[in-house]
Amino acid sequence: MPDPVLQVEDLCVSFTSGGVTADVVRDLSVSLDGGRTLAVVGESGSGKTITGRAIMRLLPRGASARGRIVVAGREMLSADERELRRARGSDVAMVFQDSMSALSPYLDIGAHIAQAVRLHDPSVTRRAARARAVEMLDRVGIPEPADAVRRFPHEFSGGMRQRAVIAMALVNRPALLIADEPTTALDVTVQAQILALLRELQQEYGMAMLLISHDFGVVGSAADDVLVLYAGRQAEYGSLRDIFDQPAHPYTAGLRAATPRLDARLDTGGERTRLRAIPGAPTSLRDAGPGCAFAPRCGLADQVGERCVVEAPLPTVRPTSEGGGLHLAACHLDRLPALKEVAR
Amino acid sequence: MIAYIARRMVTAVFMLLAIAFVTIALFFGASKDPARAMCGKPCPPETRAKVSAYMQTDQSVVWQYTEFVKGLFVGRTYGEGAQQVHCDAPCFGYSFPNRSDVTTLIAERLPVTLSLAFGAAVLCLVVGIGLGALSAIRKGGIVDRFSTGFAMFGLSVPTFLVGLLVVQVFGFMLNALPYSGFVSFSESPTDWAWHLIGPWMVLSFILAAGYIRVTRTQLLNELSADHLVAMTARGASTRQVNRHAVRGVMVPVVAMFALDVTALLGGSVIAERVFSLHGLGDLLLSGVNESDLSIVVGVTLFSAFLIIVGNLIADLLMPLLDPRIRRA
Repeated sequence: MPDPVLQVEDLCVSFTSGGVTADVVRDLSVSLDGGRTLAVVGESGSGKTITGRAIMRLLPRGASARGRIVVAGREMLSADERELRRARGSDVAMVFQDSMSALSPYLDIGAHIAQAVRLHDPSVTRRAARARAVEMLDRVGIPEPADAVRRFPHEFSGGMRQRAVIAMALVNRPALLIADEPTTALDVTVQAQILALLRELQQEYGMAMLLISHDFGVVGSAADDVLVLYAGRQAEYGSLRDIFDQPAHPYTAGLRAATPRLDARLDTGGERTRLRAIPGAPTSLRDAGPGCAFAPRCGLADQVGERCVVEAPLPTVRPTSEGGGLHLAACHLDRLPALKEVAR
Repeated sequence: MIAYIARRMVTAVFMLLAIAFVTIALFFGASKDPARAMCGKPCPPETRAKVSAYMQTDQSVVWQYTEFVKGLFVGRTYGEGAQQVHCDAPCFGYSFPNRSDVTTLIAERLPVTLSLAFGAAVLCLVVGIGLGALSAIRKGGIVDRFSTGFAMFGLSVPTFLVGLLVVQVFGFMLNALPYSGFVSFSESPTDWAWHLIGPWMVLSFILAAGYIRVTRTQLLNELSADHLVAMTARGASTRQVNRHAVRGVMVPVVAMFALDVTALLGGSVIAERVFSLHGLGDLLLSGVNESDLSIVVGVTLFSAFLIIVGNLIADLLMPLLDPRIRRA
């Protein structure tokens, strides 16, 4: 078996401000093979984006990462500035949530893509790089690419802009693509198109994709495996089927129950149902206690009792469906009761 | 492009004509009689009326305005016989207290104002952008705290106070700088600069405040902008990213600078007064004090013209710096 494209071991990311240190990502381990998509799911502040940024070493000031990150054989956390520059945009690239702010307002679309080409191969002439840009825009489905390279970001529609951002990220054929909420800023029909495009290009290039999302709908249509983060910790990891059909963590179950479904009526025998929200707000990372971070919001914590408050659960192996691969959950409960009861 | 500039210039001409009318109307709205200043201490009413007629200030505002506009094209003649004075076209008026036409007066004063504006502009850009950039890069640091305070002070303190303080401290107490006078650049460049350091300091201190603030805010915005993170993610070096960030800062700075420079070129009344420099600001002030209509209108129009041109240049530069600004 070839080495995985992405390997993360015991990743911790902490922020220091005003003398206080808070871990925003704790003990994260994950590996991802070429051609596969791992979705990282969680609510705001769960550490999804920071994990993605840590992989590219694009952390904001005041943040530091420990552990081990290997991308296409390159140690990212110990790499020096030159090595990082070589990796970024070539081995690993990123698609951002907001395509408007991810593109420089002062450069035309072609300049962005050409820059990505020339930064990694200075021997390419400006002209040839522009030609690559046209090719790439054509590949991501932008009509009249020769004309589009000269347009500026503000002259594009949201969907077109996101296509351009994808073209920019993929022009050097990265082994790993980090897609940080790539469809959140788009409307639903365009969302589907962009996801399909990403899937298609992934197959063509055989790259691994880390799909960061809070939307179970997006995850369901694009991911192979799912990693659920809560308060910077791994709550559950498993194949898409296991996560969807037999979640082993109450948080995952809660997220599932909070996702609108087109077939909801069939599930409940035609009875009208309301979406269930997870009560409470995410735990503050600063005053995290010794126990399970989800315990204050968990409907099942009473059943376990004391243990949830004093001891943080470690990820343990859970049953999988046929051909499901690894299934891990960090919960003191061995088995979850049926979905309905979990969400109270 | 050329059509656009031409269109703007035509608008400018009409704007200037309107400004001239308003200035003349306001001048006569004041209760001061220009003839009173010219006719000397004991001023019997008959003499005063004669002087008034000679200076043509006894006529209505509309008459004054039409004469002024006519003078621009064909020149203007005041009085008759031995006392007759003529002002060639384009005539912006004749100043009786100075016994000279206004165009000549402005031309005489212009080098002083130009020198003042040039140095102040350079200094305020260097200090403003420099401090602004440093405080954005090290936000919350010593430089940041100093320059934020500096900017606050510069924005709130009146020019005359800073001017008088500079004269007092550097001129009298330390005896380090000359506190008045002007030496032309062609005469001695070093003396020229030496005499102007004081006023430059004063003006640039006041102006730099704005640049510190704009540069700091804009650079902070840019430095945290996603498109710069994206640029790093593409593999660009910190230097390349920073160079790109500068571009975003330039846009508002250029807009501000175009207006500040043209305002400076129109004369800085207070700074010129404090340092006894005889520039356009000083000319305007003397015109007001002596109720000299021609000078007031002439200098006002000149400043207005500069501001219009400055705006035009800024408008032409903007789309080059920021492609989002496109003219319709």
